[in-house]
Amino acid sequence: MKMHKLRSKIALASSVAVAAGLLLALPSAQAADTSTLQPTAKQLAAWKGKTITYYFYNDSQAELDVTKAQLAAFEKLTGATVKLDVIPYTSLDTTLQARLAAGNAPDVARLNNPGLYQNVALDLDVALGKNYKTEFVKGTTNQVLDPSTKHLIGVPYDLSMNGPIINVDQFKKAGIAIPTKWTWNELIADAKAVQKANGTEYAFAIDKSGHRVSTMFSNFHAYMVDANQKNVLSDPLNKRRATNALTILTNLYKQDYAPRDLWVGSGNKYASPSAVFLAGQVPVFFSGNFALANLVANAKFNFQVVPNACETLCGGWPGGKFLMAFNTSKTPDLAAYLVNYLAQPAQMKTMDQQAFWLPTRKDLVAQGITYPSRVTDMNIYLADIAATPAAAYGIQSVPTLTGLIYNNLRDLMTSVMAGKISAGDAIDQQITFIDTQLATLSKK
Amino acid sequence: MPYVFILPNMAIFGTFIIYPALRGFWISFQESSDGRNFKYVGTANFKAILTDPTIASVARNTATYVISYVIISTVLALTLSIIVNQQTFLKGMYRAILFLPVMLSPVVVGLIWNQVLDRKVGPLNQLLQALGGGSPGWLVEPKLGMIAVIFVGVWVHIGFYSIILLAGLQGIDKSVLEAAAMDGATRWQSTRLIILPLLKPTTLIIVILSTIHGFQSFDFIYTLTGGGPLGATTLIVQYIYDRAFQTPIQYGLGSAAGVILFLIIFAFTALNFLVGRKKEAV
Repeated sequence: MKMHKLRSKIALASSVAVAAGLLLALPSAQAADTSTLQPTAKQLAAWKGKTITYYFYNDSQAELDVTKAQLAAFEKLTGATVKLDVIPYTSLDTTLQARLAAGNAPDVARLNNPGLYQNVALDLDVALGKNYKTEFVKGTTNQVLDPSTKHLIGVPYDLSMNGPIINVDQFKKAGIAIPTKWTWNELIADAKAVQKANGTEYAFAIDKSGHRVSTMFSNFHAYMVDANQKNVLSDPLNKRRATNALTILTNLYKQDYAPRDLWVGSGNKYASPSAVFLAGQVPVFFSGNFALANLVANAKFNFQVVPNACETLCGGWPGGKFLMAFNTSKTPDLAAYLVNYLAQPAQMKTMDQQAFWLPTRKDLVAQGITYPSRVTDMNIYLADIAATPAAAYGIQSVPTLTGLIYNNLRDLMTSVMAGKISAGDAIDQQITFIDTQLATLSKK
Repeated sequence: MPYVFILPNMAIFGTFIIYPALRGFWISFQESSDGRNFKYVGTANFKAILTDPTIASVARNTATYVISYVIISTVLALTLSIIVNQQTFLKGMYRAILFLPVMLSPVVVGLIWNQVLDRKVGPLNQLLQALGGGSPGWLVEPKLGMIAVIFVGVWVHIGFYSIILLAGLQGIDKSVLEAAAMDGATRWQSTRLIILPLLKPTTLIIVILSTIHGFQSFDFIYTLTGGGPLGATTLIVQYIYDRAFQTPIQYGLGSAAGVILFLIIFAFTALNFLVGRKKEAV
């Protein structure tokens, strides 16, 4: 893919602020000292020759390359050594939990499910000051606040947005206009038409993830948990909408318009159809901005991000990754500083630009990020952040359960695709599952 | 003095085999969701496993897999080793080809066969379609998923078993076979009445080894099907893995399932051994 030399500044401020405003009112942005924190001479003397481990996964080569460069700069600055452990996304939590249990915890980790590690996280309010959390767009810290103390226990490293990516060449060949606004029915009709015109194996593919599927639920105005930790899927209206969305989606797989082998044939694991999209075998690939860098590096055709389908509601589904330092670290101040360093404006900005991430820092949001290419695509993600309903953030009220709820939805969908249960049964079982999990949570 | 010589080996064995096994046994009576804090719960984990609604299907899958795998592996390895043993031309090459899958990483094996068995774009179904055989959903249909897993399991290990049997075959005194031939025995009669009885001790080892391998199968299955479709290829080891390491982690349950697996393998191995010895004595 040719790298376009576009250098237009994206007006991030308005759209992300709108998204954040949906969560909680923004406090006044003010630069804190920690945004450019430098080690003291005493710290440098103490850190010299020390080694810490950074547990990391990457969605693209660009993320890994930028990380390596930033760690090299960190090592030069601190005199410490950072051992980078690169872990596949599919075993991120499995390996980390096993390492924690075995007393072999890393010092710092990049995570997408921070709620699982609340008990072992380093208190960043203590390590970096109480005001440190105010450097980030407030809603983005929801999942990394200690439930009892409300102290910051992790840093929101990037904001992610789900959405469809299309094969432009195949759309053009089919004579289908690039959609600027569409419903799910239109999305599916277009995908099928493009599939037919190009003879691709499939019409549509979505990451095998309950998180991604939740986007479709939100478009149909169906939610699972609200901001008060209440199961709202049991609401008859929500239930009917969710069943409708699930029926439409699973029918695509049942009827072979979507890669059933990839979903059903991968057991209880995450799977991404990015390879199917890159092979030109599916014109509509539902993923998110985190998939973009990999596509930029590897796609041999023109592709483009298009807006999420608007059904009852528009917008996407929020997500993000986090940096966390662990309280088992032998050099907690060095671990906390690594978290701080990677999330400082200069480092975060570089990563955002190179890996097509969306920033979580207020100062970067205010400045805007200058992306070297794919500016239109990034603007579409930003517009979808702004259009995402407040209710989509409700599930973040139960950070320890989000992964379980998403995974159970994913596995129930597998049963629907295989014809073992109906979409209605799946939603009923999901309601029961959420009730059970919430009851367990309240006991704790 | 002899104990000093075996001390290094025993130290390694004790550290990496005996201690973890005993520790696993201890954990099976505890409850722990983080591996650091443990609470004694008696036999609750064992009861939880035996009343788990999924354990019946896991036991059924494991039994189907192990029985099929042991029978097919043993028969096929015997056949192949006898055929290869009779080759005179390119004998080494045949052995190398037979042994090749054994040298592959099980994870890679799973990934390769995942591609080969893809319903729509896999080369196997493309070949079947060209021959008018349709497009079976090897990784989508539960029954076909089990067949695929058994086939790949046999494919991976068959070379290993064949090489062991080949060694056994070469230990058979050729003069016995020559004498039988001079007495007018056909090749089939020599195989049935001389080779197979003389190979019985080696075959017993293959049965024991394949039973153990069958019960322990996990790595290539995890990358091939992930235990799917719909749990149809979830065997006991994946059940242990899921309980112990997948969120929410439950080390006590995982360890209890591991103890149960140990007891099953131990019982089968002892049974095989005793039956084999009894027949030998007769």
